[in-house]
Amino acid sequence: MINQAIKNLYTATIGIECHVQLKTKSKLFASETNDSRNLDPNTAVGHVSFGMPGALPVLNEKAVELAARAAFALNTIPQKFSKFDRKHYFYPDLPKGYQISQFEEPIILGGYIAIEINGESKRIGITRAHMEEDAGKSTHPEGQDYSLVDLNRAGTPLLEIVSEPEIHSAAEARAFAKALYLQMKYADVSEADLYNGNMRFDVNVSVSKTDTLGTRTETKNLNSFKAVEKAVEYEIARQIEVLESGDDIVQETRGWDDAKQRTFSQRTKEDAHDYRYMPEPDVPPIVITDEYIAEIQSAFPTMPGELRVKLQSIGLQAAQIETLIEEPILSQFAVTLVDEDAVKARTIINWLTGEITKLVIDSKATWKEVISAKAQLLQLATMVAENKLSSTGAKELLADAIAGKNPEEVAKEKNLLQVSDEGEIEKIVSEVLADNEKAANDVKSGEVKAISFLVGQVMAKSKGQANPGLAQQIIKKHLGL
Amino acid sequence: MKLTREDVLKLARLSRLHLTDDEVAMYQNDISAIIDYITQLDGVDVSGLTPTYQVTGLTSQDKNATRNDEILPQVSQEELLKNVPKTEGGQIKVKRMIG
Repeated sequence: MINQAIKNLYTATIGIECHVQLKTKSKLFASETNDSRNLDPNTAVGHVSFGMPGALPVLNEKAVELAARAAFALNTIPQKFSKFDRKHYFYPDLPKGYQISQFEEPIILGGYIAIEINGESKRIGITRAHMEEDAGKSTHPEGQDYSLVDLNRAGTPLLEIVSEPEIHSAAEARAFAKALYLQMKYADVSEADLYNGNMRFDVNVSVSKTDTLGTRTETKNLNSFKAVEKAVEYEIARQIEVLESGDDIVQETRGWDDAKQRTFSQRTKEDAHDYRYMPEPDVPPIVITDEYIAEIQSAFPTMPGELRVKLQSIGLQAAQIETLIEEPILSQFAVTLVDEDAVKARTIINWLTGEITKLVIDSKATWKEVISAKAQLLQLATMVAENKLSSTGAKELLADAIAGKNPEEVAKEKNLLQVSDEGEIEKIVSEVLADNEKAANDVKSGEVKAISFLVGQVMAKSKGQANPGLAQQIIKKHLGL
Repeated sequence: MKLTREDVLKLARLSRLHLTDDEVAMYQNDISAIIDYITQLDGVDVSGLTPTYQVTGLTSQDKNATRNDEILPQVSQEELLKNVPKTEGGQIKVKRMIG
């Protein structure tokens, strides 16, 4: 094992490439369905994606729109002129023998992703992002001498986003992947479903003791933030170990073994591909006008960074804000609450991340219902603010409020309304003090704990409807405290 | 310019072609001749010209040559798989790719 002092001599340099599946109904160049999750193999394929001779690709306009929108999510604007190129390589899951991609003039150049690391914000530059078609899927049955190819995924529109090598630790790599994911999700460019491979990350890692970059390796196809972090961590440690033992790093492609939590060698530079890029003659270049860009910009949703600032303004804790940010509909709803009233917003947001989340998990409500019950939730929060309802009582009414019922009426029905009428509480307090002389004297003589007993008695006598805070105040007043 | 034996073997490997020694020698000559022919274009002065990738005239119009994002009926799995030599369970059976 290499000790920390030696590890600290090295600087790691990391660049990340991410393939984002664009949220279209059909494929990038053909009217074949883009969603084959529940389909039999080779049933979401037509002549184009099957690579039949003479079949011609026609670009999906929605894919262009989504890529243009992604530019804003990457804090830049789309290129007014971009074009497609052929990237040649032979592999059984690529029927045409080439992939249509954007090599020379991609739709996005530049931009950045903001990350926060140890409380400090940092920008990771984006080199470029380009549209390309996905390949098919191959499986390799155990113990057989053949592989099987399903071309359903062939032709699926992807946006490949390439970062600058400006990431310097596993934690930063993870933060970048997470931030990129949220941007894509909020921009509604992709379903961003990591489990189904909607976003796949490749990490390029090198280490060096000097200003000159070391030889890098590329670990491909990571589909979770944790895998990104662990693969980078493993590669940094492995490369330092190799260098410290006097060997050289081999420039190669590596895979990630999630079970063993380690990377492994896949292919070395010797058989690396020679792609022979050439301009794609079958797809005309894309021209985007200023009007088109302006239109996309005007409809562009608020991104997590801005939402966080707004949620911080009412004093929410970072962890709670991140819980809201996880779900765009939740954070967007929370922000509309902030616009109404800070105090009520805090009350409702606590319910959202607590009791209401439980209701949703238990299938007793949907987020859509929750959001459409904004008026009822605000009313409920108002009742709490005005002491008409205890916070416990309010929680009991959440399901009814979400179902669209009038909280005031249900509270009455369920006998949950608090008595905040001082006169009425005074009456009960007098009775309780008369019945519990000893406790009253204890409180007077400084045994403060006994006051909870008295409040409890008031609550019991009022059948739980007295406002406990008010009851306590009145007891103190009566006892001259 | 004469292509080396290694050049031809590399091209063959990239194209997944197996060539006999005679074929390698033949392509060394043939491909070299094609390249020499095309190389005549290097003599033309193209400074100040934008490269022409297409002559369709479909670019720089108000509208891109795109289609709507819709799903249209496609050829059946059965029809498609008639075009491949071997199948198994609706998948295309190929020579094993990885160990």
